[in-house]
Amino acid sequence: MATNFWSSSHYKRWIVDRATLHQARYYDLQYADSPEHLGFLNIFFANLISKLGKKLQLRQRVIATATVFFRRFYVKNSYCETDPFIVIAACCYVAAKAEEAPVAIRSVVTEARTLFGDEYGIKTFPSDNSKLAEMEFYLVDELECDLTVFHPYRTLVTLCGKEGGVSLPQAEAGEADADDSDGPRYWGTGEGKLELQEGALQMAWYGLPYCPSPQAQDAQAPVRFIINDTYRSELCLLYSPHLIAIAAIYLTLVFHAPTRASIQQPASSAPSHSGSSHHSHSGSPTRRSSRSTTHSQKKQQQPQDVIGFMAGLNVSMTLVATIAQEIISLYALWDRYSEDVHADSARSSFLHKSGSASGGTRRGGVKAGRSASVVSSGTITSGNTPSTQDDSAQNEIVTPMSLVQLLLRMREQRMTDLAHPPSGRPVAVNKMLERTQAAG
Amino acid sequence: MDHNLLVSDPMRLYRAKRDSARKRVTDKYTILGFISSGTYGRVYKAQSKDVDGRIHAIKKFKPDKEGDVVTYTGISQSAIREIALNREITHENVVALKEVILEDKSIYMVFEYAEHDFLQVIHHHSQTLRQSISVAVLKSLTYQLLNGLLYLHDAHIIHRDLKPANILITSSGVVKIGDLGLARLTHQPLMPLVAGDKVVVTIWYRAPELLLGAKHYNKAVDIWAVGCVMAELASLRPIFKGEEAKLDSKKNVPFQKDQLLKIFEILGTPSEREWPKVKDLPEYDGMKRLDHYSNRLQEWCQSRMPNGAQLLKELFAYDPDKRLTAGEALQHRWFREEPLPTRNAFVSLSAERVPPHRRITQDDAPSMMPLGAGGSHVQGQVSQMQATAQAHLSQQLSHSHSNQSGKAGSAASFASVSGGGGPSRKKARLG
Ligand SMILES: Nc1ncnc2c1ncn2[C@@H]1O[C@H](COP(=O)(O)OP(=O)(O)OP(=O)(O)O)[C@@H](O)[C@H]1O
Ligand SMILES: [Mg+2]
Repeated sequence: MATNFWSSSHYKRWIVDRATLHQARYYDLQYADSPEHLGFLNIFFANLISKLGKKLQLRQRVIATATVFFRRFYVKNSYCETDPFIVIAACCYVAAKAEEAPVAIRSVVTEARTLFGDEYGIKTFPSDNSKLAEMEFYLVDELECDLTVFHPYRTLVTLCGKEGGVSLPQAEAGEADADDSDGPRYWGTGEGKLELQEGALQMAWYGLPYCPSPQAQDAQAPVRFIINDTYRSELCLLYSPHLIAIAAIYLTLVFHAPTRASIQQPASSAPSHSGSSHHSHSGSPTRRSSRSTTHSQKKQQQPQDVIGFMAGLNVSMTLVATIAQEIISLYALWDRYSEDVHADSARSSFLHKSGSASGGTRRGGVKAGRSASVVSSGTITSGNTPSTQDDSAQNEIVTPMSLVQLLLRMREQRMTDLAHPPSGRPVAVNKMLERTQAAG
Repeated sequence: MDHNLLVSDPMRLYRAKRDSARKRVTDKYTILGFISSGTYGRVYKAQSKDVDGRIHAIKKFKPDKEGDVVTYTGISQSAIREIALNREITHENVVALKEVILEDKSIYMVFEYAEHDFLQVIHHHSQTLRQSISVAVLKSLTYQLLNGLLYLHDAHIIHRDLKPANILITSSGVVKIGDLGLARLTHQPLMPLVAGDKVVVTIWYRAPELLLGAKHYNKAVDIWAVGCVMAELASLRPIFKGEEAKLDSKKNVPFQKDQLLKIFEILGTPSEREWPKVKDLPEYDGMKRLDHYSNRLQEWCQSRMPNGAQLLKELFAYDPDKRLTAGEALQHRWFREEPLPTRNAFVSLSAERVPPHRRITQDDAPSMMPLGAGGSHVQGQVSQMQATAQAHLSQQLSHSHSNQSGKAGSAASFASVSGGGGPSRKKARLG
């Protein structure tokens, strides 16, 4: 995003602390089965936004903005007192406009009704355009009209994308618009670049255990991007986007063995970019690739100093490590979340292609294997291993349908309590409802 | 009952809560009068009910209408854009957005009030004073305009609609760039100006690369407009006053022959030497077919702004890559010569030469206008104005049913939007 981050509404008004988030979930915590379920809801809602966004052919960046809008809305509201489904639709609708890629209100209504109705059994989504437009009004109000959102993508491109000779798939190449990194970096010293191998940067985009092979980069490939993944949590409310980007790069460096090897040795021994992989993305034209390949190969003659690179960024490494840890915790949680196969057929192909041996859980590598090594290597100082395997609750697999049920239950109980509070002090909910009914 | 309601509309309670907490525009502001109606909305002068009693301009976006019923049909792209950008920026030479109020299906943007604008200053000089704008004022206005533009451009914002009516001036002579309704962040793909929006930037201020159909353009289009504005301040009339060729029935963008000719008559036909990429532009062939002109800008400037000629020439570089940037323009020698630009552009003027206050009228939007025994100084003014506007108003209201376009129509819509007894209010007003 183009305006200055440090004077932006994002930085000034929408980076919140944990206590605020906890307060925001106050009522939801009373009705949810466990605090952990709110974490699952975070994943679930982000997935829904992503699915709706894809049906509307929104770019990844627009989906990310919609997700941030959603998180911001629920800094001020409770799941149990609202209808997250219409909020999701409104977030997509407004984000598309805020990112200058508007979609017709009718198609949002149609796609949302189909998605929510057919796949999740939500039949209350209004068919009337004006209901979504009305929600848009309330949403923009809740967002305090702060519609310009910063994302980690730009930092990643600034740091690794341009000279790294990396070509990104079409959807993401949109983030790498030449103008996007135009202008001074808004944080750190403005110095330091890291040459990542193609595979490594792809991983920073795609998600940890998945090292994309050229063939896997077709549109159906169930790739997850680390950065995209962070939107499944509340990280975007807690930390500045450049820190999230650096944490994603950091995780990539830690987990991607070939990259680690290549940056510790002179690059002559590192696998060179294969020209074909640049152009293999299912016909999507790539930018800069041919020009920058030679460039980066030339530059890779020097061994790169990762520690120096990280230090040179002049950001708090403790903070970066904390974020990295939280991303790992997210993956641990996500491991126990399962999209219904019919709702997300891409998942099966992911499992198939990645050939994960650890019981079919996609984040197995991260959780069981790698996170331990991160902690033991001492680089992450905050030190909490995300999960303890023997806890029986950890084996529960949460599905979208169970979360839909949970949501409906939470709301129903909340409404009942509002009408007949256990404290005996009646809440004027009926009166309020009558009033709105009269108003239409 | 609540349960059924929640099943059919789970957000009912949420809305009730929000509605009851929301402050209304008229709770916070006294509407003093109507300023202007533009493409996207209507602008009112208003006074804050705070102790400070500050004056504001409130821009009310046109409410959405389906037939006669005001309904939610989605916030316009232009409103979203203007709101989103305004929330991110603060600069002395860019008009400040104080707050946005969403109420009753309408959006109100509350801006700091600016007593004048460039258009009005130009009119004042051409109609009332019949004299050109002094160099000191011209230079100060241009300098501050460039200064605000530098800020926008540094924030990667292209304004895209710079013209005298959109450049405001406060009563203390400070320039405020306004109307970001067409502005864009530059990192986004910039579509040709007609696509998507129904609005087209006023053609007189449109840069030659746009007129020749460039698919990509940049900040330089604003610099061209600054040149046009500066020339207009100097000569009191638009320098390139072309006729716009309208879209044809297939919405094809027409060749803007007349506007190009108006430019060529003064700046000459662009040559490939001064603008190498001109031959790649879609309308290049059309341009070649026009008569050939040579540059006579020097001559044009002679009588109008002899000292600023060099700056103007560089603002009017045909090649967008060679056109000055805002930063370069601010460094221009002209701004370091006497008279130096001043922060109060009017400081050198005697009181009677300062342009008059913005005229406000009572003509429509009756529901925005509080009636009654307010007793405050401004309200006294208002009721006086109401008396004079009354005949006019009643005429409008009686036509408001049939008149779909223009002011009467808006008046009707306003009454219906604000709800709560439109007809009786009208009566009270008329009686
Ligand atoms: N802050 C302000 N203070 C005083 N007057 C203002 C202010 N903002 C706008 N106006 C007046 O209202 C007019 C219209 O405002 P603005 O340009 O923002 O709206 P618009 O609908 O985009 O208009 P247009 O399409 O004519 O450009 C301005 O030309 C100016 O006369
Ligand atoms: Mg305007």
